[in-house]
Amino acid sequence: MRRTFTAGLGMLSLLLVLFAAPLGAQDSREEHLRALNSLSLYTPEGAGERHYLGLKNAPEKITLGQIDAEVLIVEIFSMYCPHCQRHAPDAEKLYRALDSREEFRNKIKMIGIGIGNSPYEVGLFREKYALSFPLFDDRSSTVVGSLSGIYTPHYFGLKMKDGSIREIFYSKSGAFPDAEAFLEMIVEESGIQRGGNS
Amino acid sequence: MKITIRAALLGLVFAVLAATAAHAASDALKGMIYDTGPLKATDSKLKVRVGEQAPDFTLKSVSGKMVSLSDYKGKSNVVISFIPAAWTPVCSDQWPGYALAQDVFKKNDAVVLGISTDNIPTLYAWTSQMNGVWFPVLSDFWPHGEVARKYGVLRSDGTADRTILIVDKKGRIRYIGLHSINTRPPLEEIIKELERIR
Repeated sequence: MRRTFTAGLGMLSLLLVLFAAPLGAQDSREEHLRALNSLSLYTPEGAGERHYLGLKNAPEKITLGQIDAEVLIVEIFSMYCPHCQRHAPDAEKLYRALDSREEFRNKIKMIGIGIGNSPYEVGLFREKYALSFPLFDDRSSTVVGSLSGIYTPHYFGLKMKDGSIREIFYSKSGAFPDAEAFLEMIVEESGIQRGGNS
Repeated sequence: MKITIRAALLGLVFAVLAATAAHAASDALKGMIYDTGPLKATDSKLKVRVGEQAPDFTLKSVSGKMVSLSDYKGKSNVVISFIPAAWTPVCSDQWPGYALAQDVFKKNDAVVLGISTDNIPTLYAWTSQMNGVWFPVLSDFWPHGEVARKYGVLRSDGTADRTILIVDKKGRIRYIGLHSINTRPPLEEIIKELERIR
């Protein structure tokens, strides 16, 4: 009996070590891809945000794959995070840089997700920094429960196809220093076609 | 010997579980947060009630100034925020949110008094890392946890339970929120209570 108990604990420990071992970059991207595709988020209420994301008649909750874009830039932020607060004006610069580039405006879109933040907290963050890109809240704590090993702010670059996220081509914690350079990097790494208006 | 092996295995199981706890800490505090793992939600017995006069106290702030609750009588509502400990996961992203909401507190004639049983140098280093906060951060280190004990929020390990008290301009307690040590109180709960007494 004692031997069985000890052996059982040994097996449990081994399994936990195997599954909890630090994930390599590729492993964590695959895990994050699964997590991001499974997220169910409350659709922003603003008509402008819905129009921008192609969610005009969307239900109360959506998955990220429903957003109408070829490439989606996702900033994971928290209202409570000092670096996110300091970085907010640069995040807005990135959105404006994207909006000013007609060739990419409808192909590359940008959202923010307030991890662990309520609608009130996300609203306060938006108002404080006059952010004009769509922000999602995490009122059900589904995001904080599923995205492990990231620090805020964290940026994901996602390739979208056929109603789901096909690939994470960029994933990094920390703020970027220059919005224009960051956008160029996203364009390059996503391999999105330059030129054209739509 | 068997007991030693079992104890070691159990220790390993708990260590791995603690290491895999999900979090999304701010990049500002990356690598600096001590992960306590889940703790007993509350571990104290309140000694104050809503409607009573709030016990006065005088504590030294991080700036070196002595601050008393009675300093604010007749002038401001006071939000007293007891936090368990510096450099721990939830506490480290609670006060930066209050820093962002300065205008909202001001609009509701309220100041925040942050209280921890940590010593002044620790609180100085911690709040500096979060870019500072606009409200007084007070140390209840010596006699250890005297104010927390007076309010009945001192835990058996010498830290404080995560508690919010709102004291009106007459010095009466209008709200007490004794929260789980493992979760952050939603900001809107505090603001809603402030709006009620304004």
